[in-house]
Amino acid sequence: MMEKEGWIVPYLKENAKLFTIVVILGLLTAFSAAFLMFTSGFLISKAATRPENLLLIYVPIVAVRTFGILRAVSRYSEKLLSHHVILKILSEMRSRLYRTIEPRILKEGAGMKTGNLLGVMAEDIEYLQDVYVKTVFPSIIGVLLYAGAIGMLGSFSWPFAGIMALYGFVLVILFPIISLLMTRQTITKLKSRRSSQYSSLTDGIVGMGDWVFSGQQKTFLQRFEAEDLVICKEEHRRSTFVSYRNFMAQCVVGVIVCAMLIWTGNQSMEGDVARTLIAAFVLIVFPLTEAFLPLSDAISELPGYEDSINRLNELSVAPPSTINDDEENSGWSKSGISCIQVGYQSKDGQQILHGINLDLPQGTKLAILGPSGSGKTTLLKIFQGIYSPSEGSLTRNGIEHVGKETQSPSVSVLNQQPYLFDTSVLNNIRLGKPSATDEEVYEAAKTVHLHDFILSLPEGYQTSMQEAGMRFSGGERQRVALARLLLQDTSIVLLDEPTVGLDPETEQALVSTIFQVLEKKTIVWATHHLVGMKRMDHIVFMDEGRIAMEGKHEELLKTSDRYRKLYELDVPFQLKKESVSRIG
Amino acid sequence: MGKILFLLPNVKKVLLFLMLFTVLQGVATIMQAKWLAEVVTRLFEGEQIKQLSFIISIFLTAFITRHLIKLVLSKTIDHYAAQVASSLKKDALEKCFALGPRYAGKFGTGNLVTLFIDGAKQFRLYVALFLPKLAGMLVVPPLVLIYIWTLDRTSAIILLLTLPILIGFLALLGLAAKKKADKQWSTHRILSNHFVDSLRGLETLKYLGLSRKHARSIKEVSEKYRKSTMGTLRVAFLSSFALDFFTMLGIATVAVFLGLRLVEGEITLMPALTILILAPEIFLPVRELGNDYHATLNGQEAGRKLLEMIHTPDFQQEKAIVPQWSAQDKLAFHYLTVNHEGQEKNSLHRVSFSVKGKKKIGIVGESGSGKTTLIDVLGGFLEGDEGSIEINGEVMTHLKKTEWQKQLYYMPQHPHLFHDTLANNIRFYQPDASMEAVERAVEAAGLKEVVALLPNGLNEKIGEGGRELSGGQAKRVALARAFLEERSILLLDEPTAQLDVETEYEIKKKILPLFKDKLVFMATHRLHWMMEMDFILMLEKGEIVESGTHQELMARRGSYYHMVCLQMEGVS
Repeated sequence: MMEKEGWIVPYLKENAKLFTIVVILGLLTAFSAAFLMFTSGFLISKAATRPENLLLIYVPIVAVRTFGILRAVSRYSEKLLSHHVILKILSEMRSRLYRTIEPRILKEGAGMKTGNLLGVMAEDIEYLQDVYVKTVFPSIIGVLLYAGAIGMLGSFSWPFAGIMALYGFVLVILFPIISLLMTRQTITKLKSRRSSQYSSLTDGIVGMGDWVFSGQQKTFLQRFEAEDLVICKEEHRRSTFVSYRNFMAQCVVGVIVCAMLIWTGNQSMEGDVARTLIAAFVLIVFPLTEAFLPLSDAISELPGYEDSINRLNELSVAPPSTINDDEENSGWSKSGISCIQVGYQSKDGQQILHGINLDLPQGTKLAILGPSGSGKTTLLKIFQGIYSPSEGSLTRNGIEHVGKETQSPSVSVLNQQPYLFDTSVLNNIRLGKPSATDEEVYEAAKTVHLHDFILSLPEGYQTSMQEAGMRFSGGERQRVALARLLLQDTSIVLLDEPTVGLDPETEQALVSTIFQVLEKKTIVWATHHLVGMKRMDHIVFMDEGRIAMEGKHEELLKTSDRYRKLYELDVPFQLKKESVSRIG
Repeated sequence: MGKILFLLPNVKKVLLFLMLFTVLQGVATIMQAKWLAEVVTRLFEGEQIKQLSFIISIFLTAFITRHLIKLVLSKTIDHYAAQVASSLKKDALEKCFALGPRYAGKFGTGNLVTLFIDGAKQFRLYVALFLPKLAGMLVVPPLVLIYIWTLDRTSAIILLLTLPILIGFLALLGLAAKKKADKQWSTHRILSNHFVDSLRGLETLKYLGLSRKHARSIKEVSEKYRKSTMGTLRVAFLSSFALDFFTMLGIATVAVFLGLRLVEGEITLMPALTILILAPEIFLPVRELGNDYHATLNGQEAGRKLLEMIHTPDFQQEKAIVPQWSAQDKLAFHYLTVNHEGQEKNSLHRVSFSVKGKKKIGIVGESGSGKTTLIDVLGGFLEGDEGSIEINGEVMTHLKKTEWQKQLYYMPQHPHLFHDTLANNIRFYQPDASMEAVERAVEAAGLKEVVALLPNGLNEKIGEGGRELSGGQAKRVALARAFLEERSILLLDEPTAQLDVETEYEIKKKILPLFKDKLVFMATHRLHWMMEMDFILMLEKGEIVESGTHQELMARRGSYYHMVCLQMEGVS
């Protein structure tokens, strides 16, 4: 329900009470500042009449002190309370964003494959909290203060209050609106310029080597400088506008002061206003207008939030796909996967897989080879239950899955880049099974040959990943993920090219550990190298969504030229058997 | 704070100008207060408003003059800040390019881009805010105090006493807040990062089947974050509370004292009013400086980083003649050592070898053994700390020489594709190459089928935001560049790692013809390349432990042989 309401209004409604208190405190702050000057003006004017009885100025003396202290106190409470509200909203927004994104992750066409985009959204939310502090609160307080001040003045003289309302209108309404219109244009222009500068600079820095070798780095630097100059000019135009606007606003303040002088002068001549109030009325103008002046800047911040809000709204428009969460309860005995004529069509109508037939009884080790884009990853996602086959049938653990997307709890995945969370090493491993004891975690780490390495870290298992992340090489990261997998203890394990980017020695070592520790499980391994093919029960070579060839390593080596050629690249040197055994 | 400001060009001149104009502004402020007080006093004494129109108009003039000066000040400083920030940015970027990709890599691309764009912007804001406020603080309070002194000493003394208390409390509470923030920093960082961290790792959580349960932990951690932040804020806001409190108390005290002495007849209304109007002006600059302090911290830091980058020492200036590489030329390394600060890994230690003519040199070794560092030295991105490099008898410490780099083609592990058309990417080194030449290069690199599949052919936009190419295709684009460019020295860093075997096989077939008549250095883990090399350098922990041809090294049964066995063992 909240999905359609956007990212600002619902929170205003929900926290109406707290918002009201913040606004009241804000008003109290502004009123105390104003009345400090008012009562001070009155106090010294009254004193200047040299009253016989000191008690006559006793009340204003107390008032002056009270207002002075009240302002500081109410401002402090306002600031604290407004941050309290905002952080509360932030925490609600975070939960909501998470709930919106969570079901869609890994789904096809979710449009958010990269962790980076998600990071951007998280920052968007963080940024949105500024809307309240910088725009919403000051605007509401400013407008209410304006209404209050005019109302009070009206109790003395409605015509004059009308004139003042007009002047105030210029400061509180007119200038902010003009600013908003002006800055909206420049901000949009600036934003597109700046984002193009971002991408061209990134492009330049990543491709720095090419710029240097081509001897053209001057061209790049000049281009960047020219781009920068345009942005500078645009920013300059904006700051010039702000400077002139502020000056104009001050001129209006000057006029208000003069108007006040003339009105109070005339009123006191006619005896409608006591002469002791002249100073008070004139002095109150300054703190009041001071509260109005920031309104223009507050309102012109608005266009800056548009991008963040749009990004978040886009997310909310598409309804999250519903997934039924029926957990599979199956015994180990039946565990295994079998596909009969499985095909898969992506949402945009592209046929990615055609007629895949595979039968993997419990404990089978299957390797899937093939160039990127051949459908390896899609097949793995079907095994996992994230995609459901559009044709044919898939049986996992003895249960047939037709037409439903259910992430199977009996399947675990080791992918290319397992994420290491910003918490202790211990907790990172424990993610595989949150209820695991410390001993179980140590045991898992020992099994994947990580225990000694972890103990060598400054705080052992308690070392934070932030600190340790630098020391974890690609191979060690995979080992952390493998330890998680051990704790997870599922009957089927999918390996999605976990060794990409590792050097051959590390790859070797990791692959042997993987197969050693997952010996009894059903393994499906998508890979791009032929390392370890000998150990596999079955090898499938995918090409354009079909199984191009399959068999055991020895069979393929005999029957397929293609396979042999590739194998020779991975194993270029025919070593004499005895020399190997001597070393090994 | 603000030390780095004094390293900026012309900053003293600008500050002097600011101070001068601030003095003028201060005088206008005093005049405006004086005349306002005079109008009010004379109205109070019963004069007709009409008789006062002259004084009202000069009050208005003083008031407007004050803000006009402010306008001039803000325009001047905006201009200066923009100029300084963009020249700093420009110099730093130039330096960054001069020091090369190795230097840039230390920062990370993302950090550099953020520094150059956002950092420079924040620095600009810092200069624009800090300088005028510094001038304001130095000029306005003394000026106003002196004037008040001439009117009434008691008020001047009260205000004078309040000022140091104000500043003292500001510093004290700022320190306390900082201490508290420091103490909570690490928990605070984890809490505030938790959400971003969770989103980035959502895929992993999903694989682990934990993603749904994790929603609760998001809520809990956010609440913890709120509580811990509020704890810090309570202290942090105290400093602005103290500012407000003492300002208001100061003004209130002055008002009360003035009132009491007015009753006694020790002072008249006009000076009393003037003082009351002027009192807030004394505190204004201090409060503004305090309010902006936190807002400008990032800018200060960014400025420091930019300046540091500009002052990073460049490579040594050397005059050495590098010839157009031919079969007679000779390159030699003599005990070359490259140290990476505090890092044993990736350093080079007393590396010596020599190459004559157009040989093919393979560089092998484990990860972290210094292969990439050696390639970087050869590319002229790194300077030797000890030892020397010699070309035909000329001695130098680095190869960052235009004549060297101009005849060299470097193919990194991940070639960068610029956001441009495919054709322009291929002719990046030779923007005026003809379309026919580009097509020949496409053919040679085996990109023809790829081009045929693109809707716009060679004019298809690729790179960031354009059509995405696979790793193998990107390699082919880099290869096409090399074919078009025909340079005589080739540097390759893992040209076929990370590719699936089949693509690797295809690309190797295309790379081999490129080697003809060139000096080639190739760092790789993939040993099948070694058959094509004339000479192999085996690195271990930054040292060359073995060198020779593949056959020689195999016969020697040393480190190289051992590595080969290790790799073959798993597969054969």
